[in-house]
Amino acid sequence: MEVKSRMRRTASVAMVALMGLGLAACSAGEADTELNPDEISGEISLLTPIFEGSPGQDLLEDELLPQFYEEYPNVTVNVDYTTYGNLNEKLTTAVVSGLVPDVMLMGVGWIEAFADKGVLADLGELGLSEDTLKESYTDEIVEAGMWDGNVYAVPIMLDTRFGVARMDILKEAGYDSPPSSWEELIEIAEATTVRSSNGSLERAGFDMMSLDARQAFETILFSAGGELFNDDATAPAFNSDEGVAALGLMADLVNKYEVEDIGFTSTDDIVNPLINGRAAMGIAHNNLWTQAQEADPTVLDNLEPFVIQGEASGMFFGGTLATVANNSKNPQAARALLEFLSSPDAALAANEQRGNVPALTELLDSDYVQSNRFVQFAMENLDVAQREGGPSQWLEVRGDFAPAVQGALLGQKTPQEALDDLAALVQTAIDR
Amino acid sequence: MTTTERHPIRGAEAAAKQVSPSTAPKKRKRISTAEKKRRRAGWLMITPSVIHVGLWTLIPVIATFYLSFTDYGIFEAPKWIWFDNYVEMFNDAVFMQSIGNTVWYTFWTVPVSMAVAVVVAVLLNQGFKLQKFYRTAFFLPQVTATVAIAMVWLWIFNPQYGLLNAMLETLGIPGQAWLVDPQWALPAVILVGAWQGIGIKMLIYIAALQNIDESLYEAASLDGASSIRKFFSITVPMLKPATFFVFIISIIGAFQVFDQIYVLTDGGPANATTMMTYEVYRSAFQEFRMGMASAQSVVLFAFLLFVTLISRRVTKEED
Repeated sequence: MEVKSRMRRTASVAMVALMGLGLAACSAGEADTELNPDEISGEISLLTPIFEGSPGQDLLEDELLPQFYEEYPNVTVNVDYTTYGNLNEKLTTAVVSGLVPDVMLMGVGWIEAFADKGVLADLGELGLSEDTLKESYTDEIVEAGMWDGNVYAVPIMLDTRFGVARMDILKEAGYDSPPSSWEELIEIAEATTVRSSNGSLERAGFDMMSLDARQAFETILFSAGGELFNDDATAPAFNSDEGVAALGLMADLVNKYEVEDIGFTSTDDIVNPLINGRAAMGIAHNNLWTQAQEADPTVLDNLEPFVIQGEASGMFFGGTLATVANNSKNPQAARALLEFLSSPDAALAANEQRGNVPALTELLDSDYVQSNRFVQFAMENLDVAQREGGPSQWLEVRGDFAPAVQGALLGQKTPQEALDDLAALVQTAIDR
Repeated sequence: MTTTERHPIRGAEAAAKQVSPSTAPKKRKRISTAEKKRRRAGWLMITPSVIHVGLWTLIPVIATFYLSFTDYGIFEAPKWIWFDNYVEMFNDAVFMQSIGNTVWYTFWTVPVSMAVAVVVAVLLNQGFKLQKFYRTAFFLPQVTATVAIAMVWLWIFNPQYGLLNAMLETLGIPGQAWLVDPQWALPAVILVGAWQGIGIKMLIYIAALQNIDESLYEAASLDGASSIRKFFSITVPMLKPATFFVFIISIIGAFQVFDQIYVLTDGGPANATTMMTYEVYRSAFQEFRMGMASAQSVVLFAFLLFVTLISRRVTKEED
């Protein structure tokens, strides 16, 4: 099965690579100025939080970079692998030491800080403009790579979070479709929660604990019609009535409706509770589909994605974007690599390896997307998806969200108190 | 033999001082040449260490003190802000909580692991068959990466599949969500810290035990002393110097706990297990506030200095 999967992937990559030859300058490559491969040379470094681990490294080094070298034979790429967990440290030490990698892959919400401080190159000056990008990506995704009206990053892949229901469990409880409102969500969650005779939880009606607390809150916040920050990102907006309602819902699901106990699942769980049936519904990452394919393909038919619907449609997206260092000694080579990594063939292969959502709209029709129900669902609903971030201080404050959410779930503070205290912290950081 | 007599350089100096005044100029010159050579050789030998300490310890320490008075966010040059970082830090409820957690962690891990270590050391110094195996087994956590250990403990503490809850259930005791319940998270982390610290302490105690004169035990046996009496009247007093040493290094180690927090709890839930070192890390690498991180490091340094000085004072006679 592993071999078949690999063969399929290789074939897919090869096919896309062939397509790529004819589309050499597609998507990000549809730049305002074309690169001449023969004139570009030099050694560049790539810092990447994706492609980590053996499968990722194999994909990058054995399949993708050889394609890049075919087109740019005079360029050498030195890869520095890391994970999102350690990217902060890598970037901090890189900036402090003045050895910023030529091409950096970073997350949604990261661009603002590094662009604001002049670490990233304005891609407009390298020939990539907002208008050309918006031809290939949705507006919200392009804006995730922009700061102060300029383009600093090109999207490669998206990580989305949305609701997922185990339809076999819901049907047993008498429900034919996932919830379409908060009220239905509570009702179904209560109906599908199972506790043993001594009261210990055996199945959560709605799981929020196997996801980062900040991202779970953001997803519910968006479904409440709330936003993280005001329009010009100068003040927090998550402690609005919508934010309090969102955190209130999360706290009530745990403490009032008791559809999940704290600690029942965690982000460290090896198998997602929706796969092994320990949860009837939950907020999940789009790669749950890939996880289920590997762990238990028999549940795939029972996994139903849904947008969490409150006052608005709640779907969250993060992602990985490619940037070029402002002080790169080989900016054209760096731009070439950026364009290559965000091109349809390379982006598709990277997304397939991680079970992620391609940022390029045109890839909706690809075999990979069509064969992955969650990715397809995410792409079809990207118009309602919202991202995190906003102010350039986002990286400074995002770590404060989880303790605040946990404090409310644990009943240490009311949702209003937790969010107001968090807002005060965030405002201090913005004003600093 | 005095310290001066033992020390080759100081010994030479003392000898030089004893030279009679009449012959002093001539002899001083001759000794001075030899002395110069010795000193030159001495300096040559310690130069690598001096460079190492200067580069990797002294300069960073001075830089830390300097940066603690600045607003330094890595992207721009440090800006001098006097005591603003310190004022903000001591008004930060989370950092104050981290100080409390660190002291609480130290308070429990150090004595518990020391007590267990001394008992284990005594047991593993009896000369029985599998002694070497057990010594290795107890020391193993010390040489195993904390991240790997923490991963194992993550599994042990897992509320659903974890070994700990499974064991408790067999005894009819309800399991807990050890690492996500604020009541249990810190005790769980303390347990891991205490367990991991036993190995090195045991090793030091074994070394100390082997230096205790056997005749003391023989004499006590002749006087009819029981094993427990011998332990408390001979072993424990004779281990005093080792105990003070272990105490100091354990406190320093406990105050610097980081990796197990990083892997096990990420400082949560709701900051229940955050420590001073973890806050330093968060300030530096999550918030990019190097000035604040430096100020927090200075406070950590001050804590360690204070504890060490107190201990030095207490152990002055033993030294």
